[in-house]
Amino acid sequence: MSTMAAIVHIVDDDASFQKALRRLVETYGLCVSCYESGEDFLARLPKSRTGCILLDLEMPGLSGQELQERLVRTVPLLPIVFLTGRGTIAASVQAIKGGAQDFLEKPVSSITLRSAIDHALSENDRRRIVNQENEALQARVAKLTRTQVQVFDLIVRGARNREVALALNKNERTIKAHRQNIMANLGVASVAEMVSIAEKMGRIGKDAK
Amino acid sequence: MAVARAEVVDRSPRALILYPYDERLAATAIAGETARKRLIETTGGKIDLYSEFLDLSRFPEEAHIDRMARYLSEKYSDHAPDVVMALGDLATSFIVRHRNEIAPGAKIVFAGFGRDSAAKLNLPADVVGAFSEFQIARTFELARALQPDAKNLFIIGGSSAFDREWLDSARTDLAVPAKDFHVTYLENLAIDEVVERSSRIPEDSIVLYLTIFTDITGRNFLPKDAAKLIAAKASAPVYGPYDTYVGQGIVGGNTATFESMGYAIAGLALDAVAGKSIKDIVVPETFFADARQLKRWGISESALPAGTVLSFKEPNVWEEYWPQITGILALIAVQATVIAGLLIERRRRFAAEDESRLRLLELVHLNQSATAGALSASIAHELNQPLGAILSNTEAAEAILKSKTPDLNLVKQILVDIREDDQRAGDIIRRLRGLLKKRSEIEWQEFDLNDVVDSSMTILHAEAQKRGIVVKAESPTRRLPVRADRVHLQQVILNLASNAMDALADPATPDRKLTFQTSLTDDANVELSIADTGRGIPNDRLDTIFTPFYTTKSTGTGLGLSIARAIVETYGGKIWADNSAAGGAVFRFVLPLAKAA
Repeated sequence: MSTMAAIVHIVDDDASFQKALRRLVETYGLCVSCYESGEDFLARLPKSRTGCILLDLEMPGLSGQELQERLVRTVPLLPIVFLTGRGTIAASVQAIKGGAQDFLEKPVSSITLRSAIDHALSENDRRRIVNQENEALQARVAKLTRTQVQVFDLIVRGARNREVALALNKNERTIKAHRQNIMANLGVASVAEMVSIAEKMGRIGKDAK
Repeated sequence: MAVARAEVVDRSPRALILYPYDERLAATAIAGETARKRLIETTGGKIDLYSEFLDLSRFPEEAHIDRMARYLSEKYSDHAPDVVMALGDLATSFIVRHRNEIAPGAKIVFAGFGRDSAAKLNLPADVVGAFSEFQIARTFELARALQPDAKNLFIIGGSSAFDREWLDSARTDLAVPAKDFHVTYLENLAIDEVVERSSRIPEDSIVLYLTIFTDITGRNFLPKDAAKLIAAKASAPVYGPYDTYVGQGIVGGNTATFESMGYAIAGLALDAVAGKSIKDIVVPETFFADARQLKRWGISESALPAGTVLSFKEPNVWEEYWPQITGILALIAVQATVIAGLLIERRRRFAAEDESRLRLLELVHLNQSATAGALSASIAHELNQPLGAILSNTEAAEAILKSKTPDLNLVKQILVDIREDDQRAGDIIRRLRGLLKKRSEIEWQEFDLNDVVDSSMTILHAEAQKRGIVVKAESPTRRLPVRADRVHLQQVILNLASNAMDALADPATPDRKLTFQTSLTDDANVELSIADTGRGIPNDRLDTIFTPFYTTKSTGTGLGLSIARAIVETYGGKIWADNSAAGGAVFRFVLPLAKAA
């Protein structure tokens, strides 16, 4: 699926554990990149979007959780698998709620680790595909004029041509023409498809801006 | 009125003791004192005793006698004695002459002279005496017994009337017994001459000293004092008829002792006041001798007649020193008791110290357990690091070995790492165990304070990390050796650090830091300070925080700091708290620097 080799990023301050983990993960035929702290990882943010992060929960300086918050924003495509020597329910719940892919306790067996990494990489694949679609849609939406975007936003929220015309203080026929142009530009045949695109792009729903 | 009443009631009898001379004369003093004692003891104190000293040796003149008579008659006009005890012939003749003025109707008893003297006094029939025969012949008899080879006899007497009387009776009494001796009388001489003459007497001589109240120059003496002067220089043994001479250098003699005289006259007086009829008695006589003088003249004690009262007998150690010995033994006993007491106290104190040390050790251990409980979760989790590494390394190695071309060098490297991680896991467990180690005795060790700080920091590491606290140490490169129990000192550090970490728990604390600093404060002391970046301690609590049960934490025992203090003080140190200028509390303790062995 992936065009590039997946890289497993290991962030752990314990040099010995980090080394052992790298060796094990390498036996899976995966590339490994190691970081000794959260700060180190942020300083050398990976360019590749293929892979996952194995993150130690408790480190001096930036803790795993603080790092997670930043990574969700900066490298949203890389799923995070937490590794901890101190697995508490509270910590695991918080991690998963924060978007973690998995939560493993040290010592971790190879089977568990491998399966977690596999799942994380699948998730990475999925995220990259979604991301690609989104990017394509984004590109198409970007071709729309400012007025067409306004019309689009109103249509996907269920407004009729007359209501849109009233809202934008325009002629109903003009709106109708915009609508046909928009559907042509986005390559959709129905309002339902428009709604789906809007949803994927996050233009509607509770998080809509 | 008073007199009348005194006559009517059954009053205590009155007894007057009449001394012929002054109070210095031992002979009458002893007799009078013995009499007085017997009278008081026998009557149970129900007797009024009076004493008068006529002083007739120094004032023999008639005028004085009349004066005394007048004086005494005046004095006793209202207190007429019921019995008068006259000591010696002079006192006896005085009272007989003046009885009507001084003691009308009183019974008169006497002692201190013999029948010969009594005959001369022409005493009325109702005057009764305890006769003592100062038989110089008996004294001579003793002398002869002690000096069977003596050829010469020297007789010394004085110039007073009494002295002359003595000389006269000696001449009479000794005429027969001393008929084989060459007899010389040393009389009518000044005292110096007597002494001088006595010092030139041939060895085979017996010297009889009678009395010298007055010498030819009119100088007055107490006879025993004169005896002393003579005996000291005499070149032959001196004997005398009075036991008061004993101790003055006189070898011995024969006498009715003055005690027995006093005893006898008191008996007569008692019978007299009791209304019994009394008659003349004789005071028993004894030979007496001075052991030191026997020794001086080389005379054997065995030559003494049976029943001789031997004075100054060389006592054996016990006899001579019994008061001292008793005293010393008592002192030793007291000392022994005191020492035993102190030893018991000491043992009790040691036991108490042992117990308090044991209590302290128990407390330290409880506190240790509490600290360990708080820290062990973190430490146990720390175990997961090496264990995780070991597992991953092992599984990596397995995978590598399964491949077609296994990289054996890598496997070898993996095995080395596994061993290291195993070591690491072992260390963590050992630390945990050290944290729980119970001491029943203080284990004195000499170690570098920095080492304990390091090991404490390792123990704290996981917990500090969990709490987001940065721990660092600033230590000098030189060793700071101290002598203490390592586990205990670590406990102090962990207590202080735990407190500091709790102080940093406030989420508002921006920069959570814990700084250990060791230093050499002077030549003899090392200091450890533990500074946090919390809010510090209110100044008024800086002292109270070390008292037991003081706590600000809902879960605290309030013992941590007091235990820390107890430990530090056990090792001769001091602990205190402060606030740093930058904010936050600083706990410090100093310990004596261990001298390089």
